[in-house]
Amino acid sequence: MKKGFLKILAAAMCFSMLAVGCGSSGSASGGTNTADGSGADASGDVTIWYYWETEGHQQALNHIIEEFNSQQDDVTVEAKYVPFADFKKQLSVGASAGELPDLVILDNPDHAAYAAMGIFADLTGRFDVSKYYDGPVNSCTLDGKLYGVPFGSNDLVLFYNEDMLAEAGCEVPTTWDELLDVAKATTTDKVYGFAHCALQNEEGTFNFLPWVWSTGATSYEIDSEGGIKALEFEKSLIESGAFPKEAINWTQGDTMNQFISGNLAMMINGTWQIPTMREEVPDLKWNVAPIPQDKQQASGLGGENYAVIAGGNEEGAIKFLEYATSGETCLYMMNTMGYISANSEIAETQFEGDAVYQVFVDEMKYANARGPLPEWPDISDAISLAFNKVLIGDAEPADAAKEAQATIDSIIGN
Amino acid sequence: MKKIKEFFRYDNIGLLFILPAFIYMAYFVGYPIISNIVLSLKDVSVRNLANGQQNFIGFANYAEILSDEVFRKALVNTLVFTVSCLVFQFLIGFLLALLFNKRFKIAKPVRGLLMIPWMMPMTVTALMFKFMFSTDVGIINYMLKCLGIIQENIEWLTTPGTAMAAVVMANIWIGIPFNTILISTGLTTIPQELYESASVDGANKLQKLLNITIPLLKPTIESILVLGFIYTFKVYDLVYVMTEGGPVNSTHLLSTYSYKLSFDMFQYSKGSAVANVLFVILLLVGMLYIRITMKGEEE
Repeated sequence: MKKGFLKILAAAMCFSMLAVGCGSSGSASGGTNTADGSGADASGDVTIWYYWETEGHQQALNHIIEEFNSQQDDVTVEAKYVPFADFKKQLSVGASAGELPDLVILDNPDHAAYAAMGIFADLTGRFDVSKYYDGPVNSCTLDGKLYGVPFGSNDLVLFYNEDMLAEAGCEVPTTWDELLDVAKATTTDKVYGFAHCALQNEEGTFNFLPWVWSTGATSYEIDSEGGIKALEFEKSLIESGAFPKEAINWTQGDTMNQFISGNLAMMINGTWQIPTMREEVPDLKWNVAPIPQDKQQASGLGGENYAVIAGGNEEGAIKFLEYATSGETCLYMMNTMGYISANSEIAETQFEGDAVYQVFVDEMKYANARGPLPEWPDISDAISLAFNKVLIGDAEPADAAKEAQATIDSIIGN
Repeated sequence: MKKIKEFFRYDNIGLLFILPAFIYMAYFVGYPIISNIVLSLKDVSVRNLANGQQNFIGFANYAEILSDEVFRKALVNTLVFTVSCLVFQFLIGFLLALLFNKRFKIAKPVRGLLMIPWMMPMTVTALMFKFMFSTDVGIINYMLKCLGIIQENIEWLTTPGTAMAAVVMANIWIGIPFNTILISTGLTTIPQELYESASVDGANKLQKLLNITIPLLKPTIESILVLGFIYTFKVYDLVYVMTEGGPVNSTHLLSTYSYKLSFDMFQYSKGSAVANVLFVILLLVGMLYIRITMKGEEE
């Protein structure tokens, strides 16, 4: 009998390493889920989770937190960095284990999923978002209720290397055909003409969807004339040799690095890259333009939202939100981080005199949000699988579209 | 009084001593495993994770993953990955161990250097291989071109078949030191006299290897293979960093696919069902390992 027991023990030890992967996250949470959010008087501690890895972003957040803490004595705010790759996991695990912070700053396509899980507090009537852009507000709304506050937005545009285009004798492309031509013309044995991040995940989907939207199709209509056309366009890009296949392994940051190293003549990328690019390569002559279009102008809306955790220190969190989104503070955050304020009043004058940012602000009107749908990650996975199949030549556009559509339909119930 | 005395008989005291370890294991290993099994029998998704409306649906999740193309692919991949890594790791490790068993001048420092792949954080190794396998600027294509083996760059990480080969190669590199060191240790336990008397009897090198070294190393080899299987079967970070399971899901292993289902797509129950398949396979291999080691001790 003793031996049997030992066997079990030894077996368990063998598999302790397996369990590490599943169960290690609980101990790392720093949540202060105090239940004192009932009264209208805000007090106590507020813990924030965020995932920005850029040092400037972290400093900006910590700066406004310090100011907030020193201005009043009732609420003490503390921020905790959770790496992006871990962020969703930590929130999910925290949701089932009840160990969550009081406020999170999260990627907007994921907002609906967590709202559906019921971990976010309903802010309808508790926070005024009437002056905010519709796209960002939609991303934190589910079933007509407001589950968050837009933090700041970004969108995608075409970046181009002025010297390379001039050398090839090209104008800035405005349509798909022109883009393809310019991409071919600027391609040399060292330089690829054009690329966008094409990872098989949310990041890749974000960069691919503007093609779909530009044809007039929606994110849920991949097996449509427009959806197939967008996939055909990806195919023609890759077949022209002007688009590196390796973009399927490039993050948006990698794509930017290729661009500033002079390996790319044009790319799709976002607002948040500007501060880095201006600092890293002040001499590189680059500019931005709206994403070349098929039928209509379209871009992807990115950015983060604030969400207050239900049952946490809700009043304290809202008090901090009021402060962080007020004119001066918000403007400081947005400018330091290279974001466009989601508050239209602030955004309109935010970048006066900065032609590059102005292109992004103008493109905001055409920027589409992903979702909002709790199952958006599944939709996104189907879409990114489709264009990845096309890019590596694993499937024809029409077949890839059909497969993606089957997955999408099974989720949205068509 | 008598009962208490009886309880503290030799055997039972032993049980008391292992009690702390048992409690630790039950809580930190047993509990997650059981809760994961329970999770896989429920229908838990993004809609009902926090509000408690989680119904038991029996083995429906398992039925669903079995008909899931990506899961089947991941299962096959995991087996192919494990077996091919094991074979090459073991063979190369064995040859290196034989080499370093010769007492030449720089054997010791070189054997120390050999541990580097094993000590290096997996993510660093993965990033390094990702750069080396890059199509246009990777050193592997560059070297192959210089040697005249290929004319055109191989698109290592962007073609399904070669991407799998690339992660296998990276993992072989990581696993060689583990094999080398354990086999080296095993070799030192073989008495030199055996070789000497074999020489006297006129055995050649190959005969010594086949008739002395390998039979006497058998217990070591068995342990290495089983432990290697367990280590390789559950590899996650290498693949996640190098390919994230791509291109088009062609390099997903059970571990990466389980993670993706649970934490990228919020299909918690399906994700845990995949994890349990991984668990059951490892459990069987683990039992095999215990049998082997127990047998060794009894002999």
